[in-house]
Amino acid sequence: MKTSQQVTPWWGTFNFDHTHSKIWQIGPLTMIVRCLYDEWLISYERREVFEDSDISITDTDVLPETLAELSRYVFRKTTGILNITPLLADRSVVSRPLTPFNLTAGEEVTLYVGSPLWLELTAGSNRKKLGEICIQRPSDTWFGTSTREGELCYATTSRCRINLHDTPERIHRAITPVTICNNADTTLSVERLILPSPMLSIFKSSDGLLWTSSVKLIREKDGDMAALKVTHKPPAEADNAVVLSKPRIATEKGILIRAFNAVFS
Amino acid sequence: MTEVWSEITSFLTNERLLSVIRALMLFIIGIAIAKLVSSTLVKIIQSKVDNHRAMLLRRGSYYLILLLFLISALKELGFDLSVLLGAAGIFTVAIGFASQTSASNLISGLFLVAERPFSVGDVIRVGTTTGEVLSIDLLSVKLRTFDNLFVRLPNESLIKTEVTTLTRFPIRRADVLVGVAYKEDLKIVRRILNEVAEKNPLCLEEPKPVYIFQGFGDSSLNIQFSVWAKRENFLDLKNSIHEEIKNAFDVNGIEIPFPHRTLYTGSVTEPFPISQVKAGTQKT
Repeated sequence: MKTSQQVTPWWGTFNFDHTHSKIWQIGPLTMIVRCLYDEWLISYERREVFEDSDISITDTDVLPETLAELSRYVFRKTTGILNITPLLADRSVVSRPLTPFNLTAGEEVTLYVGSPLWLELTAGSNRKKLGEICIQRPSDTWFGTSTREGELCYATTSRCRINLHDTPERIHRAITPVTICNNADTTLSVERLILPSPMLSIFKSSDGLLWTSSVKLIREKDGDMAALKVTHKPPAEADNAVVLSKPRIATEKGILIRAFNAVFS
Repeated sequence: MTEVWSEITSFLTNERLLSVIRALMLFIIGIAIAKLVSSTLVKIIQSKVDNHRAMLLRRGSYYLILLLFLISALKELGFDLSVLLGAAGIFTVAIGFASQTSASNLISGLFLVAERPFSVGDVIRVGTTTGEVLSIDLLSVKLRTFDNLFVRLPNESLIKTEVTTLTRFPIRRADVLVGVAYKEDLKIVRRILNEVAEKNPLCLEEPKPVYIFQGFGDSSLNIQFSVWAKRENFLDLKNSIHEEIKNAFDVNGIEIPFPHRTLYTGSVTEPFPISQVKAGTQKT
């Protein structure tokens, strides 16, 4: 595991002098933010070739207009305060194991899934929202029994793994521990699983890595239904975790009962 | 002068005039109440039903209430409704013969409302016309085409012809037809196409892209590569994937051939006679 010195937090509150710019390099994402007296200029683009460990925040003279996507946010007067918060996807995320596996009756397993992250940019101490930028745009995917019924989701490029040590530590992803319980009498074949990302919080562990609330997928005894439980506490694997962002969709109980096909595939 | 004044007063106090005023007021109040009731009903039910049903409810309730007030107004004017209805019966037969097309459209409209192949706001294709449904009325369906034209389609023609609803399901498939030269290795072509689909974030990972070998064409090996997209991203995907396939083929040296023709001299074995001309010796 990396130490806290190795991980530079790209989130938090940043102070800008007027007409100054900062550049963020987070994995594939390059983002330039420029603060003017009456507007914020935010531009970004993504590289195809990058290192997962690429992370830097520096002052820059490069103009935001040089990057592909540019947005302008006009104010009466800007305060020079920019807040960046990591957010999870606004849709559910579908992940696959490296190879499909079978979970026999009565067994339980925990998988670790790396979820893509978004940057939520807010300005000023009253946190006026400027926008959201995805660090690495995941592909769309469809999770359902047919092309008529199902749910539009994001597909993660990273595979879910059984061993935490095999999970690549990426500063631009948050790890979700997913426990699968097979309470039915038959073997469960796991090819894809769905993560209810909008219902999860993000935590920062003491070593600077990002985690989400843990999820439990339970295949009920009758086999036709599945329960999806979200724990609002930080996962046990994250030491001294603190909350960085709350879920997009707040749920009190954190339990969803769905058809079996809507959770496992 | 006094005579004129008394004439006006007697006219104003005339019972007939008063009943006309009462009928007129009933009709105006009826319009106001019908508008109020229909819009309130729609507001209450809007979150539970789609646009089309809300529109039907608004119109239905509006005209029903208005009809009741109109009947009251006619009664106020002294009309005997039973006579009117009797007369209407005779007229109906005559009008029925005269308005066969309208009646056919009307009945087709009722079938369309009951069958609900599309709703207001859907995008449909009828023949060569594609557009967004603005309203489904008793006689016709109104469309707004993408070049912003207003099209009125008679209900009868919609019942008779094939109607495609483009916005019925949440995902759509885009079929890319591409030809590659006969010298190319189809395994490599297939791998490149799958890589292009994998890299495009608008292309759905599941359902998986479909690769279909369409056959040996005149000049190329014809391939259909079908990719899925979220309905709203369909056009973006269709545009981007063609561009990306062309770029990927260029990078990997895969040839997309132009139509070409091999000329045959007619003799089984003899080739075309070719003579080599030295540079500079060509006559002008």
